[in-house]
Amino acid sequence: MYIERQTALRKAQLFGLLERLCERLELSPTQADRAKTSYEAVGQWLAGAEAEWLASSSIYLQGSTALGTTVKPIGQNEHDVDLVNHIPGLGQWLPPALCKQMVGDRLKASQRYSVILEEKPRCWRLNYASEIHLDITPSIPNPSCSNGGELVPDKTLRCWKATNPKGYRDAFKQRAALIPQMRMLKSFAEDRARADADIEPFPKPPRFKGLLCRIVQIAKRHRDTYFLSRDASLAPISVILTTLAAWSYEYCVRSMVFDSELDVLCEVLRHMPDFIGQQAVAGGVEWTIWNETTEGENFAERWNTEPAKAQAFFDWHVAAMQDLERLTAAEGLDRLSKSLTKSFGQAPADEVMQDMFANVAAARSYRTLGFAPGIGLTTTVAPAARATSVRSNTFFGAH
Amino acid sequence: MRFDSPRPLTAAQQYLALRTNPACQGEGQLRGNMLTWRFPVTPTALSRQYDARLEYRHEMSPKVYVDAPDLVVLADGCRLPHVYEQSPPRLCLYLPGSGEWGAWMRLDQTMVPWTALWLFYFEAWLLSGEWSGGGLEPTVRENSDRQQQTAGRTSLRPSTGRP
Repeated sequence: MYIERQTALRKAQLFGLLERLCERLELSPTQADRAKTSYEAVGQWLAGAEAEWLASSSIYLQGSTALGTTVKPIGQNEHDVDLVNHIPGLGQWLPPALCKQMVGDRLKASQRYSVILEEKPRCWRLNYASEIHLDITPSIPNPSCSNGGELVPDKTLRCWKATNPKGYRDAFKQRAALIPQMRMLKSFAEDRARADADIEPFPKPPRFKGLLCRIVQIAKRHRDTYFLSRDASLAPISVILTTLAAWSYEYCVRSMVFDSELDVLCEVLRHMPDFIGQQAVAGGVEWTIWNETTEGENFAERWNTEPAKAQAFFDWHVAAMQDLERLTAAEGLDRLSKSLTKSFGQAPADEVMQDMFANVAAARSYRTLGFAPGIGLTTTVAPAARATSVRSNTFFGAH
Repeated sequence: MRFDSPRPLTAAQQYLALRTNPACQGEGQLRGNMLTWRFPVTPTALSRQYDARLEYRHEMSPKVYVDAPDLVVLADGCRLPHVYEQSPPRLCLYLPGSGEWGAWMRLDQTMVPWTALWLFYFEAWLLSGEWSGGGLEPTVRENSDRQQQTAGRTSLRPSTGRP
């Protein structure tokens, strides 16, 4: 029972570390607030245009910021915040390049925006000083989509491409709201009845964001780290990781019972490739990862013209599973930290470990450090509990 | 001993305290005024499990050793910080003469949690090469004039990292 409990604690604490790591990589609440103020102002500027079609436009979040799955790009301090400028009054008769140009012209007409405006292939970027970019993609309604989908310019700006950012976000959030069924360990059940149930293992669990978002962030960050020393142009795009993780999450939650959040992470990652489709076409087989919220958007489209991209996904997936297994098995804070570094990079790994050391140091100096049976050192103050308070001491002796 | 100091605990009392404290699960022996207590320590759930051994003779300094795993092997040949002996490592857990430990204090409430804390900082040291747990170490201050052949004076300096 002791081992069982130790294992459960280990997994809980390891997942806690991963959550803290994600917290450090995502858009902070302050940055999110700033982004919101900024894009609302841009939205007002666009809607303030004399042109009627632009005046009826609206601006909204899409992509990882809308989903809560942001991960800061490695080596950069900036977050991309993806926005859609939806223009309901326009139709497919308008060439996409012209539509994009008209939105750009309106932004250039502002003194404030013209100086921070940068043109990207499919969108307009506003570079703010506060570590964020806003990427604004124009969109028009898609009359042939029964799901309220939209059309955005394709990369060449020559034709319109089906998409459905709002529908995608809603479908993701519905899956993220599913709660996995957790098996309660016998020893925990017994503990709950005891007076020391209020002892929290060290370190304290962080604010809970939702498992699916964390799983997506972990997968994305591992991908970024993995492709740092490889051909980054082959790296699976975020929407592929997000879609496969969301489908796998739904499947796992509906069909399995788990011991821990860490087990959910492992199973969801493990089953991601099961949701990649293949369809027969003349002369072969094509990869498919359909956007279920609109017709005709295959997220894996590029895999069919560049097979190396499909292979890169499968290679990454094998590496991610291996790294996760090593991480789960690592014993000792030193080995754990090295394993975190390999999977997620030196800086965030160092930061979460330093956090843990700082927590213990602070508890030690405030004399709130405890030592509890089956838990070890704990920074939770629980006077009624069976934790022994760790007295002040000075480590003496030669090096 | 100061006149007003609390009465020292006997080895038998210490042994009983160790046996009844659930945080110190282990096994040991009591022979007269000498006790040995072997206990597994896992500083945090993410740490290794270590096998520690506490030896105590009534009113003498308690000695804490780590029997397994071999800390010297884990340290990859580097000298261990804050130990009295390298192999088997005997941990320096308190400053002698400072009142941090006295014979009236329970071993299960001092030596055992301090062992966990030492091992916590040991793993941090393996990672960074820095001892972040603070402490003092005796240093030999060499006399500038070697002709005098002074053996050197022991003083204390704050602990930093790997030498």
